[in-house]
Amino acid sequence: MSRWRAVWLVARREIFERGRSRAFILSLGLTLALILGGIFLPSILAGPGASAEKLGIVGTPPAGFQVRLALIAYQAGIEVSTETVADVASGEPRLLDGSLDGLLVVPADGNVPTFVVKKAQDSQLAQIINASLSTGPALTLRELEPSDPNGDASFLFANVGVILLFISIFTFGTWVLTGVVEEKQSRVVEVVLSTVQPRDLLVGKVLGIGLLGLVQLVLMVAVGLVAGTAAGRFTLPPTTLPTVAMLLLWFILGYALYSTALGVLGALASRMEEASNASSPVSIVASGAYIFSLLVALDDPSGTAARVATFIPPVAPMVVPLRAALGAIEPWEIVLSASLTAATIWALLVFGGRVYSGAVLQTAGRIKLRDAWRMSRR
Amino acid sequence: MLEIKDLAKRYGNVVALDGASFEARPGRLVGFLGPNGSGKTTTMRCIFGLVRPDAGRTLWNGAPIDRLARLRFGYMPEQRGLYPRMRVAEQLSYFAQHHGMSGRDADAATKRWLERLGLADRAASKLEELSHGNQQRVQLGAALVHDPELLILDEPFSGLDPIGIATMSEILRERAAAGVGVVFSSHQLDLVEDICEDVVIIARGRIVAHGAIDELRAASERRHLDVEVEGAGSGWLDGRPDMTIVEEKGDLVRLLVGADADLAALLAAATAAGPVRRFSFQPPALSELFMEVVQS
Repeated sequence: MSRWRAVWLVARREIFERGRSRAFILSLGLTLALILGGIFLPSILAGPGASAEKLGIVGTPPAGFQVRLALIAYQAGIEVSTETVADVASGEPRLLDGSLDGLLVVPADGNVPTFVVKKAQDSQLAQIINASLSTGPALTLRELEPSDPNGDASFLFANVGVILLFISIFTFGTWVLTGVVEEKQSRVVEVVLSTVQPRDLLVGKVLGIGLLGLVQLVLMVAVGLVAGTAAGRFTLPPTTLPTVAMLLLWFILGYALYSTALGVLGALASRMEEASNASSPVSIVASGAYIFSLLVALDDPSGTAARVATFIPPVAPMVVPLRAALGAIEPWEIVLSASLTAATIWALLVFGGRVYSGAVLQTAGRIKLRDAWRMSRR
Repeated sequence: MLEIKDLAKRYGNVVALDGASFEARPGRLVGFLGPNGSGKTTTMRCIFGLVRPDAGRTLWNGAPIDRLARLRFGYMPEQRGLYPRMRVAEQLSYFAQHHGMSGRDADAATKRWLERLGLADRAASKLEELSHGNQQRVQLGAALVHDPELLILDEPFSGLDPIGIATMSEILRERAAAGVGVVFSSHQLDLVEDICEDVVIIARGRIVAHGAIDELRAASERRHLDVEVEGAGSGWLDGRPDMTIVEEKGDLVRLLVGADADLAALLAAATAAGPVRRFSFQPPALSELFMEVVQS
């Protein structure tokens, strides 16, 4: 019997046993429900009249403007409150800080009025004002922060992508951890290892649980994208497919890296209570990488910190897809980073596999990394 | 034939195995005996590659035991364990497939063994839903399901009730009769004496005795002599201070004598004291032999 068959048998057992477990089905259902809820609930809750826009006015609008504005806004299901602003200079900062949603500037000389907004996209207000001004020519629109039309969706994808990656990698990595400890605690590992090589057992476990994780991630992304588009929450930017591909690639790399490390550390524990303790170094690194990605890399995806982090394997799985989603990464950086991460996974399997072999049959208390290395058979 | 040659293993300063060597022939039940910590489990783990010996070799039918050879072995470790939440039949089939059986063969073998073990109606139950005794049976099933050529069982009888012991003995005997090598460790020496043909006794990492139980007993220099002389107690021995009395119960006296004891003279002395109800000369029991070789 080939070793690959043994690996596959182990993986298949994980898929069948966990895939039909109540825990997996419930968590999958709950996650999908959360995604759907997150997408549809805001538009359901925000019914007609619920959103209020604050309009600042510089100068004197034509007579009857306020009445027409109120009427048209009412028909559009938007509530608009107006206030007079002294001049453009004092109005712009308020647009930026969000205390005003739009600024209508009516020149005293009867020229075409200007409508100033922070971003053009979010302005249904512009249309309403345009319709409310009885005077013929359309008003001039000025943006304070002109942006790439796909920028917002990319930002959203980058953000959500990192969160999804972190949750997926860590959820399924933890399954590997607890799976290893359970096998030790129930003592079944000795029976299994009488025919299976320790490293093959670890690889099979990582593979099987990883496939489940991949299925869950694909489902989450597919449901999110389809539902989000259907609900009109966003239009898919042309970079969607590469972004999703990056997400899946880096789930595979990140999961393989973290779950292998967690599996090795799990072998050092003898009981479930010791597992979280034994795995804390990995949890700390993962949380650090996550926080770094959301706080630093998302803010400045082309900055030095983000570029350096790209080549640090434990951080790369979150930083690289984030930078890619924002279009702030060179292809060679992706290739090099993925290669570095893959090499780290390989090294972890070689060295960690040895620690795993040495530790997995020691069932008394916590085992030190060094002892496990020495105890190992090869 | 299973051959263990000069196995040595140290854990730090603790010597687990110190040049242990023995053979076990297929078709015979071999009891593997020794006090706690004498190296039984380490020896078994060496056979399955779970412990890498510092020195020595393990051979099966003349060839070093490797991964492929082990696929044809069955193992029941001392620390029992299976997947608690996995269904019984799926679990056995899983282990059978790990021993190289196809999925279909594994399912068929599982069905056969569950019936043999009286667990056919629990096939779809999760292991943790079974009683302790039934879990033990499944554990035995996991060692047997792939029809191994060699069975290595670490303390298979511990924790079993009398019915469980009878079932286990029957299955082990049957496997041995089918030409399978069966080696099992146990502390229940009387049971071993009952069902095994051969024993291997290990102490402090070395094999201190091994061979057929009958031959080992016969080779002992000591004998038990049970003599019962009606109404005489041990009085008829007064003139024989060289005799060691092991046990005295009413008129029954158990003596420890050499294998070359002059039975005729002893019988004459007893007959002179009164009517002899019993006069039995026998080699020591396995348990006595065990104490003798382990403590020397």
